[in-house]
Amino acid sequence: MRFPSREDRMFFYMLLPFAGVVFIVFVLLFEVLIQNSVPVLLREGLKFLTSSAWRPSEVSPDQEFYGILSPLVGTLYSSLIALILALPTSIALAIFINDYTPPQLRDHVTGLVDLMAGLPTVLYGLWGAFVLAPILKTYIMTPLSLYLGFVPVFGCRPITGFTVFTAGTVLSVMILPFMTSMIRESLASIPRTYREAVYSLGATRYEASRMLVSMTKPAVMAATLLGFGRAAGETIAVSMTIGNSFGLPLCMFEPSYTISSLIANQFANAGFYHYMTSALYAAGLFLLATGLLLNSAGVYMLVKWRRTYRR
Amino acid sequence: MRDVSSRREAERLSLVRRIKDKLFLVILVVLSMAAFLPLFHIVASILYYGGWTLLRGGLSFLVDTPPSPLSSNLGGIGPALVGSAVLVFLTVILGLPLSFMAAVFTVEYPNTLVARVTKLVCRSFTEIPTVLIGVLSYTLVVIPMGRFSALAGAVALAIVMVPYSYTYMEESLASIPRTYREAAYSLGLTRPRAVFSVFTRIARRGILTGVLIGLAKAAGETAPLLFTIGGLRHAYFNGPDHPVGAIPLLIYEFALTPYRVYREVAWGAALVLIAIYLVIFVVLRRTVREVRM
Repeated sequence: MRFPSREDRMFFYMLLPFAGVVFIVFVLLFEVLIQNSVPVLLREGLKFLTSSAWRPSEVSPDQEFYGILSPLVGTLYSSLIALILALPTSIALAIFINDYTPPQLRDHVTGLVDLMAGLPTVLYGLWGAFVLAPILKTYIMTPLSLYLGFVPVFGCRPITGFTVFTAGTVLSVMILPFMTSMIRESLASIPRTYREAVYSLGATRYEASRMLVSMTKPAVMAATLLGFGRAAGETIAVSMTIGNSFGLPLCMFEPSYTISSLIANQFANAGFYHYMTSALYAAGLFLLATGLLLNSAGVYMLVKWRRTYRR
Repeated sequence: MRDVSSRREAERLSLVRRIKDKLFLVILVVLSMAAFLPLFHIVASILYYGGWTLLRGGLSFLVDTPPSPLSSNLGGIGPALVGSAVLVFLTVILGLPLSFMAAVFTVEYPNTLVARVTKLVCRSFTEIPTVLIGVLSYTLVVIPMGRFSALAGAVALAIVMVPYSYTYMEESLASIPRTYREAAYSLGLTRPRAVFSVFTRIARRGILTGVLIGLAKAAGETAPLLFTIGGLRHAYFNGPDHPVGAIPLLIYEFALTPYRVYREVAWGAALVLIAIYLVIFVVLRRTVREVRM
C-alpha cells in the first residue's frame, strides 16, 4: 500500500493493531470452540446431534455420553413460538407507528420501542419467572390444555409455570422491539411517490398498508431471520423460564432446555466429568455456526433490499 | 334495472372495504397495545416488588452485604454495586480505545482488507450469543489466571460492547461531509491531527452515543459474567485480579434460589438496575434520536 506521507504511514500502523484485535478475537472464539469440541465430536460423531441422551457418569469416562438433540429441539421450539407471537405483532406495531401515529408522538413511541430493546435481559427473566409464568399457567396454559387438549401441542397439563411456552412468550417480548424497528425502518424508506400512487388509486388505508408491507417483504424476512437468531441465542431470560430439564417435548407446556441455557446451567460443573466440557463447547460451536449463518442470510437480504429503493 | 343493481353492487363493495379498513385499524391498535403491555407490566412489577424491598431495607440496602438464606434481615447489595461499578470502569477502559481506534481505522483506510473484515466482524458480533463470549473469556483469561476475576468479566463485557460502540462511532465518523474533510487537510493538517482535532470533534455526538451504549451493555449484561467474575458476595473489592459481584448476576443467582429473602433482594436489585439503565437511556435519547441495542 502507498501512503501520501510518512505521518500517514505511521498513523496506519498505529491504528492497525486496534482493528486487528477485533479480528483476532473473532478468530479466537472459533479456535477455542473448535479445539475444545474435538474430543467429543471425534468420539461420538454425528450421534452428538441426533441423540437425546445426556449421560454424565462419575464412574468412568467410558459410560459418558452426550447428545444435544433435546436442547436443540427446545431451542427451535421456543424460538418458533417467539416468532409466531412476535412477527404479526411487530408488523402491526411498525405500521401503527409509521402510518397512524401523529408525527409529534412518533418520536416518543419509537423511544419506548428502543427502551424495550435495550432493557437488561435479566429483568425480562425475573419478570417472566415470577410474574408472567403464574399468569400464563392459570389463564392460558391450563385452559388450553383442558379445552384444546386433543391438539398435540396443547396435549398436556402444565405442572409448573416454567415451560417452553413461557420461555417462548418471554422471548417474543424480547425480540419484538428489535423486529419492529427493522420493519418500521424499511416501511419508512419506501419512497413517498409509491405511497401517494397507492392512495391516488383510491385505496383504503388497509389496502395501502397491505401493499406497502408486501413491498417490504425481503426486509420482513430479514427481520424474521435475525429475530430467530436472537431468540435462539438468548441465555439468561430463557434459562430462568424454560424449566431446564431434558426431554423431547411435543407439548409446549412441558419444561425443556435450550443450547444456551444448557451451557449456562452445566458449564460450571462440567469439569467433574471427562467429556462434558467438550460437549458444551461443541454445543456452543453449533449454536455459533447456525447463528452466524442465519445472521448473514438476514443481513444479505437486508442489504439487497436497501439497494432496491436507493437511486 | 341493470344500472341500479350495479350501483348496489358497488355500494356493497365499498361497505365491505370500509368494514375491512375499520377492522384492520382495530387489529392494529389491539396488537400495538399488546406489544407495549409487557414493558409497562415489567416496569410496574419491578417498581412494586422492588419498592417494597427498598422501603424495608432503606438506604442501607445499597451498602450492606447480602443476607444469609434463612435470615429475616434483608441485608443489601453493596458488594454487587461496587462490583458492577468496577466492571463498568474496566470495560470502558478496555473497550473504548479499541472501538474508537478501530472505527477511525475503518473510516480512514476503508479500502484495506483489515478495515473490511473489521466492519464485517463487528456487524456479526452483535448476533453472537453472549454466553459464548463468557465461555471464551473463561477459556482465555480465567483458566490461565487460575481464578475468577473482575478482569475476566471486563474482557468478556468489552467483547460484547465493542461492536455496538464501534458501529455508532464508525457511522458518525463516516458521515462527516467530504468538504469538511478537505477543509481540514487544506489547512495543512496531517491525517492524525485532522482526525483527533477536527473529525473527532465533529463526530462527538456519535462517539458519546457509543460510550453510553457501552455503559448500558456493561451494566446490564448477565451471560458474559456467568463463568468469569465468580460472584463475590460478602466482600466488596479485593483488586481487579480477584472475583467481584455484579448486580445482574446477583439478580439471576438469587432469583433461582428457593429462599424468600433472596428473591426480595433480587427484586430490590432489579429496581436499582432499571434505575441505572433508565438514567443511561435518557441521556442517550438526548444525544441521538434512534437508539439501537
